[in-house]
Amino acid sequence: MSDMSVDVWLYGPLARYGKEADQGSFANLQMRLPDGSNMDALLRRLGINADERGITFINGQLSAMPGLQPDLGYTLSDGDRVGIFHPKSMWPFQYRHGASMTEEMARAMRQEKDHGLHHTYEEAGDSS
Amino acid sequence: MWILRVNMNDRIYRLSEVPEAYKNLGGRGTTSTIVYDEVPPLCHPLGPNNKLVFAPGIVTGTAASTSARVSAGAKSWLTGGIKESNAGSSWASYLANMRIKALIVEGQPKEKGKYWMAHITWDDGAGKPKVSFLPADPYTGKDLYEVFPKVYEQFGARAAIAGCGVAGEYGYGNSGIAYNDLGKRPSRYSGRGGLGTVMASKGLKFIVLESKGAPGVAIANKEVFDRGAKKLTEALREHAITKPKGGLNTYGTAVLINIMNEAGGLPTRNFSSGRFEGAAKIAGEAIFEGVKNRLGKEVYNHACSPGCIIQCSNTWYKPDGTEHTSCVEYESDWALGANCGIDSLDDVAEMVRLCNAYGLDTIEAGTTLAVAMEAGVIPFGDGKKAIGLVQEMGKGTPLGRILGGGTEFTGRAFGVTRVPTVKRQSMPAYEPRAVKGIGITYATSTMGADHTAGYTIGPEILGVGGKVDPLSPEGKAALSRGFQATTAFIDSTGHCLFIAFAILDIPSGFEGMMEECNGVLGTNWASEDAAKIGGEILRKERAFNEAAGIGKAEDRVPEFMKFEPLPPHNQVYDVPDKVLDSVYGEL
Repeated sequence: MSDMSVDVWLYGPLARYGKEADQGSFANLQMRLPDGSNMDALLRRLGINADERGITFINGQLSAMPGLQPDLGYTLSDGDRVGIFHPKSMWPFQYRHGASMTEEMARAMRQEKDHGLHHTYEEAGDSS
Repeated sequence: MWILRVNMNDRIYRLSEVPEAYKNLGGRGTTSTIVYDEVPPLCHPLGPNNKLVFAPGIVTGTAASTSARVSAGAKSWLTGGIKESNAGSSWASYLANMRIKALIVEGQPKEKGKYWMAHITWDDGAGKPKVSFLPADPYTGKDLYEVFPKVYEQFGARAAIAGCGVAGEYGYGNSGIAYNDLGKRPSRYSGRGGLGTVMASKGLKFIVLESKGAPGVAIANKEVFDRGAKKLTEALREHAITKPKGGLNTYGTAVLINIMNEAGGLPTRNFSSGRFEGAAKIAGEAIFEGVKNRLGKEVYNHACSPGCIIQCSNTWYKPDGTEHTSCVEYESDWALGANCGIDSLDDVAEMVRLCNAYGLDTIEAGTTLAVAMEAGVIPFGDGKKAIGLVQEMGKGTPLGRILGGGTEFTGRAFGVTRVPTVKRQSMPAYEPRAVKGIGITYATSTMGADHTAGYTIGPEILGVGGKVDPLSPEGKAALSRGFQATTAFIDSTGHCLFIAFAILDIPSGFEGMMEECNGVLGTNWASEDAAKIGGEILRKERAFNEAAGIGKAEDRVPEFMKFEPLPPHNQVYDVPDKVLDSVYGEL
């Protein structure tokens, strides 16, 4: 089975999962994964539990928020950029209103209370 | 409550009772109403007919959490339209404690270049505030970090100070009003819109307050107030963003640098890209980690003003562990960092310090430097030369005066087409091509491009529950309208806008805010009144702007954003004009 490379950015306390790439406040690493790997596989490889991460981006598209993680099944491709944040990080609604989201995330948001017009989703649970 | 008029023609003051129509106003509602009622829309912002109005919020000075905000309003020297810019400072509480609903600075001394201080104290015998005027000559032309301690020496450690820096004295379009923080630094700002120069144009350098003996804020129904204050406090302590050691208390507002960068919406090198390769080095996480390394311990952020639970103000330290500056906010960090291609926190911190020292708005300063970089004055990414340009502004050299004129002024001086302004005010740190919703607010706000013009506090009062699709252009316009109205309301309460994070998600927090206001005023406002009251404020602001010649043709993002795709998403700004027009058209 062939490999692919993913450009991974880990922020805040998650930097430690970058091991030798840990810069203290962030880590940037090129990870080799089997073709067809999904987000769940990436997190497992990093050793990050799904509830230890919060806001997540795949190629600049919002794919997860704390309490809303519809991206675990997302199939990654060679050259993708993935940015993973600690649950402490935040992105208020008015500053992401109209920003790019993965299709799964857009769908999950629409299904949320008030069309997702909130800052946090922790009580809403995982709708993936 | 009093309306206190300070007339700078001949330095006299007059106290009057608050008119019935103003009784339930506060903060932005007060300043915008008085500017609308009293300032001729076509007056010169620096002439004798403009008025500078300060107003504490409805609950400012009470035990309500995170509520020590003061609004400053006038006809803006930068935009030519109405302006309200608020800040958190003990100065706000002092004003409220002396029961001053509005402090209106009027007129102008005949003598040019002469500056005064107004000292406002509580006259116990008379049971009202009194004002004395003192010459400010020893304090003009100087760094505010040098001057603030001397003003404290003159008036005592319990004073609170508001004032303008040299940026105001020079007449810059970029000039704010500085207020003391809790560490007595000149670091809290009504930064936007050139209000520092409006203040200086009145021959007023400082307004020093001392509220000893003052009766404090009158509360009509203490039971209702206490119940509300408790609910809001609980919401702030509970919410992930606002709670102690939460996102803001740990990383400060710069928590958004890495987020916006990953989203491809962090304006970089004068809005030519949405992603900065050096973002992680200047982000909130890097500030937290950098301080930990330099001090050998974790430091959580501090409050800018009394009674704040969120406590999002950081301090940056030099390599030797001494203080460099406070505070490196997201907007400042971005404007002077990513937007200039600068990835050194030490350089960013030095520019923040200099902006505070001179009385400059950090946002406008950074966006101006980036336009100058675009013009080739200095290269992108050169932190040392950028510091040099900020110093030119402080010295008032010919180049410094061009830059001090602001982003649009500098663009005109150098023939730059990529100038990120709306209504002559520069855009803050969210790229409209990547975050379309904020673009609608930037374009249509009465304030010019403003990231604090559109927060929301409750989805139900916006009518989104099934009625509008927030992702459609029409939905975004409807939401922006609702956001702007609810923001105008929060700006009137005296609460920091950041309470919105908690009260949007925690309904009891929202109820608490309304009950606090009802408790102070004796009103019976219900939830839906927030948007109605805010909408009334917006209508006055809009009417002032239209009368000042700022109509819907100026409710647009700059043209380059419509045809220059922004990497990495390579999107242009494609929200149709009719959608933008509907924001105020349907208010």
